[in-house]
Amino acid sequence: MISLSSALPLRRAFLRSALAGTMLLPALVSELLAEDAARSSNDPLAPRPPHFKARAKQVIFLFMSGGVSHVDSFDPKPKLLADHGKQVKLDHPETRNRPGYEKLFLKRPQWEFRRHGKCGTEVSTLFPHVAECVDDLAVIRSLHADHSNHYNATLGMHTGSFNQARPSIGAWTSYGLGTINRNLPSFMVIAPFSPYAGGQVWASDFLPGSHQGTLVVPGAEPMRNVRPRTPLPQQRRELEALAELNQLHLETRPGSAELEARIRSFETAYGMQAAAPEAFDLSKESDRTLALYGLPRGSTRGFAWQCLVARRLVERGVRFVELIDSGSSNNWDAHGDMISQHAPLAKNVDQPIAGLLKDLKQRGLLEQTLVVWTSEFGRTPFNNSADAKGREHHPWAFSSWLAGAGVRGGIVHGATDEYGIRVAHEGVHVHDFHATILHLLGLDHTRLTYRHSGRDYRLTDVAGRVVQGVLA
Amino acid sequence: MVNLLLAMAAVSVAVPPADDAFFEAKIRPVFAEVCARCHGPQKASGGLRLDSRAALLKGGENGPVIVPGKPKESPLLKMVRRVEGVSPMPPDRPLAASAVKDLERWIESGAPWPLTTTPIRAARHWAFEPVQDPKPPTIPGVALANPVDAFILAKLRARGITPVGPSDRRTLLRRVTFDLTGLPPTPKEMESFLNDRSPDAYARVVDRLLASRQYGEKWGRLWLDVVRYADTAGETADYPVPEAWRYRNYVIDAFNADRPYDQFLREQLAGDLLAARLPADAPAERYAELITATGYLAIARRFGFNITQDHYLTIEDTIDTLGKSILGLTLACARCHDHKYDPISTRDYYALYGIFESTRYPFSGCEHTKVPRDNVPLVAPAALQRRRDAFQAQIAAAQKALTALEAQLQGRANQAQIALASGEIPNGGKQAFDAGRGAAALRAVKVRKGEMLRLTILPKANQGADTTLLEVQITEQGGKGRAWNLTRDVLPDFYQNGNGFQHDDSQGHRAVWHFWDAAGTPRLLTEFVKDAERVPGLLVWRGAEATPSVLVNTNPRPVRFLTVKQPARSFAAHPGPRGGVTVAWQSPLDGTVAVTGRVEDSDPTGGDGIAWTLTAGPGLGAELAATANALRTLNRARRQLEDFNRSVPQAYAVAEGKPHHARLHKRGDPESLGEEVPRRWLELLGGQAISKDAGSGRLDLAHWITDPKNPLTARVLVNRVWQGHFGKGLVHTPNDFGTRGEPPTHPELLDWLAHRFVASGWSLKKLHRLILLSDTYQRSSTIEDARLKVDPNNLLWWHFERRRLEAEEIRDALLAVSGDLDTTPGEGHPFPETRFWQFTQHTPFNAVYEHQRRSVYLMTQRIKRHPFLALFDGPDPNASTGHRHTTTVPTQALFFLNDPFTHARAESLARRLLALPDDASRLNQACLLLYGRPAQPGEQVATRKFLESYATALPSGSADDRRRTAWSAWVRVLFSTNEFIYLD
Repeated sequence: MISLSSALPLRRAFLRSALAGTMLLPALVSELLAEDAARSSNDPLAPRPPHFKARAKQVIFLFMSGGVSHVDSFDPKPKLLADHGKQVKLDHPETRNRPGYEKLFLKRPQWEFRRHGKCGTEVSTLFPHVAECVDDLAVIRSLHADHSNHYNATLGMHTGSFNQARPSIGAWTSYGLGTINRNLPSFMVIAPFSPYAGGQVWASDFLPGSHQGTLVVPGAEPMRNVRPRTPLPQQRRELEALAELNQLHLETRPGSAELEARIRSFETAYGMQAAAPEAFDLSKESDRTLALYGLPRGSTRGFAWQCLVARRLVERGVRFVELIDSGSSNNWDAHGDMISQHAPLAKNVDQPIAGLLKDLKQRGLLEQTLVVWTSEFGRTPFNNSADAKGREHHPWAFSSWLAGAGVRGGIVHGATDEYGIRVAHEGVHVHDFHATILHLLGLDHTRLTYRHSGRDYRLTDVAGRVVQGVLA
Repeated sequence: MVNLLLAMAAVSVAVPPADDAFFEAKIRPVFAEVCARCHGPQKASGGLRLDSRAALLKGGENGPVIVPGKPKESPLLKMVRRVEGVSPMPPDRPLAASAVKDLERWIESGAPWPLTTTPIRAARHWAFEPVQDPKPPTIPGVALANPVDAFILAKLRARGITPVGPSDRRTLLRRVTFDLTGLPPTPKEMESFLNDRSPDAYARVVDRLLASRQYGEKWGRLWLDVVRYADTAGETADYPVPEAWRYRNYVIDAFNADRPYDQFLREQLAGDLLAARLPADAPAERYAELITATGYLAIARRFGFNITQDHYLTIEDTIDTLGKSILGLTLACARCHDHKYDPISTRDYYALYGIFESTRYPFSGCEHTKVPRDNVPLVAPAALQRRRDAFQAQIAAAQKALTALEAQLQGRANQAQIALASGEIPNGGKQAFDAGRGAAALRAVKVRKGEMLRLTILPKANQGADTTLLEVQITEQGGKGRAWNLTRDVLPDFYQNGNGFQHDDSQGHRAVWHFWDAAGTPRLLTEFVKDAERVPGLLVWRGAEATPSVLVNTNPRPVRFLTVKQPARSFAAHPGPRGGVTVAWQSPLDGTVAVTGRVEDSDPTGGDGIAWTLTAGPGLGAELAATANALRTLNRARRQLEDFNRSVPQAYAVAEGKPHHARLHKRGDPESLGEEVPRRWLELLGGQAISKDAGSGRLDLAHWITDPKNPLTARVLVNRVWQGHFGKGLVHTPNDFGTRGEPPTHPELLDWLAHRFVASGWSLKKLHRLILLSDTYQRSSTIEDARLKVDPNNLLWWHFERRRLEAEEIRDALLAVSGDLDTTPGEGHPFPETRFWQFTQHTPFNAVYEHQRRSVYLMTQRIKRHPFLALFDGPDPNASTGHRHTTTVPTQALFFLNDPFTHARAESLARRLLALPDDASRLNQACLLLYGRPAQPGEQVATRKFLESYATALPSGSADDRRRTAWSAWVRVLFSTNEFIYLD
């Protein structure tokens, strides 16, 4: 009863699953699946050519939740150290009309800065491992955002919109370029906890739902429903029978692309059950690799796990991988005590990030992968008393960096004033930052549009300039 | 370089003759059709008009736009050429190259404007023109019962397409049942439809479905999509809105009641104002319904950490949704600047803004202020006041009675007391009465029946840690030699008489012992607390406050609580913050008694000790009891009022605020206020000012919007209904009828439907009926190649468009066919109680509440989407969803393969099927339930094959278990089929 045409795609699915786990998998499967995608013209995930030659094919977006202090990490301010305790007068959104904050005093950095690499870029001792990679980084010291609230700033850094929900940068990338691997979603987010603004951070919003980020939560079942609930041989019987019934149904409804697409989605899902756990299974990683990331064998905890899985997802053709280090609490939001709050969070991410950069590099993946490191805003170089141990939210100026495909390594772009309070020159707004990321992916941010309720929407709204200075 | 070459080329071209023909043929169309919409008399974007030569020379904010004779220096040309550094014009798409050239030639030749020419007017946009009442076309040789078909067929004929034939009856019933109810037809419904060969069988099915409650649950959802309904507020911590469900159910009920659409809109915009105008004898439910309806406005999204501060965004969200949901206009574009494409100015925006700024929105609670407020009672103020007045009268009466009794009691209490003895102990101390001052008097106290002996424990300078152990014995001197021991008398009383507040002795006398608050007028300690401080057997009498109190340990062993250690079977007293506590004995005898006993500090952790006094005086028992009873009556009356207030149902609804005109926000910045803009209707649709004494102006707005002359309201709704039945609308952009939207494929049909809709009294059910009874709706979804080439996207409706079930339909169908669907309407959600709300952006509200009711009743959050609805392209809870995407992704397949929900439904259905005698009838029943058709022979074979091989392959279990497992698996396969998930 089972016809050849229905048996064939299923066999492809099994072939894929059989391949799963071999070293050949990523490339082979991508190819197989991209071919699948190309067959269906109405497929929103079909690979799409970039607007111009892309420098990067994929992105790993490292998001530090809560606001990392720039003057304690990537933006050295000797004058701030020298003028500690000096009063400053500012109309700052976080201190305006706030009782007890009538007077503001400069507060010295808590970590020491040193020059690193051939380029000599200064990085503080908060990030000793990342500091080793400065020759690959384009550090931007002049980023600025529109809002001093976590929720809004986090939304803005992800969607370009500081108030309304809009599609996430990962969703825009997926929409612009499609997928290169059918066994895994095009946009995946690994986050141990829910971030500020919740799922809006990786939502597709008005873009088709296939572009929304798939959430991976470190733990026993990182992805929803990816673990087979029936033993695989049984499930295979179910899928064979399903293919048979669907084929009978399709024969009387020929030429329906959407029915065919849904039939294929089951094959892909079957493959995904193998491919996703395989991507999360680090047992075949060498001790050396694990050591590079600082990940104990068998552990699924911490940013090290997230970083190593990110590399594996990129290898397997996931277009956009976002890693969120913490969540909407117990994060970088160090109002209380910079040292006790920043130090452990930095320790959680520092070696893993450096490990990721080195690992990508040694595998040649850094040539096609853009790595982005950022936070929603920086922290105030001042507080209401010089003795205050914490720092407040500071969207006026903060630091981020780019590395990898198409990025000019070993440079510093932009600068803040002598205290790190305001951008002094070459300011980079969040829109500019986004425009630059899209540019590296071969996408013109003014042309990557989606018509929604009468307007062509963009990630960069009506602004954004590509930051030429960070391009290789 | 390119520009230079072009310029040189232009120079070499002969100067065109300054003739009117060139202007009329080449230049006027550009100004009229492209530019005038934004740069004309209706709207002058950037202060610029392009409808006369003078206007061009005057220019806009940036000066003149042409320099006659010098195209290179004319900004207009730079803009149309879209050179770097100037605003590209027209903004949406470049001008044709030939038009650019023409403009250049025209400027080059001095920009001559004909002396006699008609004024330049913007091209008229179809949607802003009045709705016409077109006559349905006649098709030669075809008699058509339904004019809808005439409009459709006329276009098809013109393109040479013959539509496909009707679909079979099974397919049709499945289609129309899902379309109207969101659920599959039951096998019984299918059978009765197939057996009904009468000509109006189908029409009656449509009527039956329209009359079912499930109709509102399906079509109400369409409206909830459009108004971006959610059960949370959407600000940074996503506070729950426990009352939102009332609006949701209002929408469902209104659809079921076929509320005329114009009335439906008026209720949602100004229900509170209509409610205020209800006649006095209107049913209470009607009042409640009208208040609830304004949930349409109230559920607008909240923003920020302090939603009061960001209220302008909530108003923007209101205006945005109002525009999209009702008018098909993107009004919010005009918040910061005049609308780029449609004739909507910033002044239009702030004219409406003033109406909503004059409206009080309910406060949902947010991180900054966590307690919600300003919900609106669903009982009319007059009725509410009547009820409250009645309660207040009761309270007043009880208060009066109490005051009188207290005066009486106080009078008696003030009568002279004879001091017997007194003493004091330091912290941790103890003292027997006979060690106190005047102790000799205690050996023989003359008492008359009804007189009282009082022991009062007084705090010293500092009240606290004053728990004092008391032992009191009163012994009759002579006579019968009877004895009254406080502890012995009262201990059993606590067990038996916990709710009384006068205590008997152990000899059968009533009301002998009394405990009262000795500060001011004596007040009996009437409140009984069992197992106080969570200590079993620790019993406490207290007043309204925790102290003063008396404490009895009934346990045969000491107990510890707080810092107190109380011995076994003992009695203690604790003074209050304002004074002492009295333990009094009302004498049941005439005679002489001796008083013995002692006091002991039983909480030596702090404090400064206590003082005690023993006195004799007149009895207060009767007065104390009367006062205590009066106080109880008063408290009961107060509680009744509180209970009533709590019991008055409330809605998340709006009310009138302070009526005022809003000031324009320059460039959308609420901190940068411009001129005041009087509240009025959109210029485009008439621009009427609000009437005198209009309050906020919402009722005026409701009337403008539902004016039959408004060209948008009916068209937009009719298009939504068409889209609901056919998958796409006659206008493909349901939320945008502006110039950036798609024009209608069948403008006459759209107008005809809109006109009929209004003429029919804005009845949705009549509209459904009209559409559903058309041949166009009943056509087969089977398509053939030849016609596909002419109209591949079925823009002309020559066949029915197959569609995937929507998210809610998938879940509801799974529940329905498995027998697990709970068909009762949903109400509120099990949110945590308001008093526990501590949500912040760091720990926002986050929950998924599962139930087996229809999906329209699922709790939907704003900042975290419901996982199932998000997976299957459910509506966006943040913005008006006019049209849902249908995406097919493998994670949806994973849901069918592995989700516990699918597995549970499959097990339920398998259980139901296994009650049937054999596999053949089981499959048949399954096919009837899922697909609305009997099983085919080939499927029977496949089923047998599957069940056998599956059951054998199972590693373990009894034959029954294996059969059940295999059937569950097979049901999952059937669930996963395209035939189940798609509608033909």
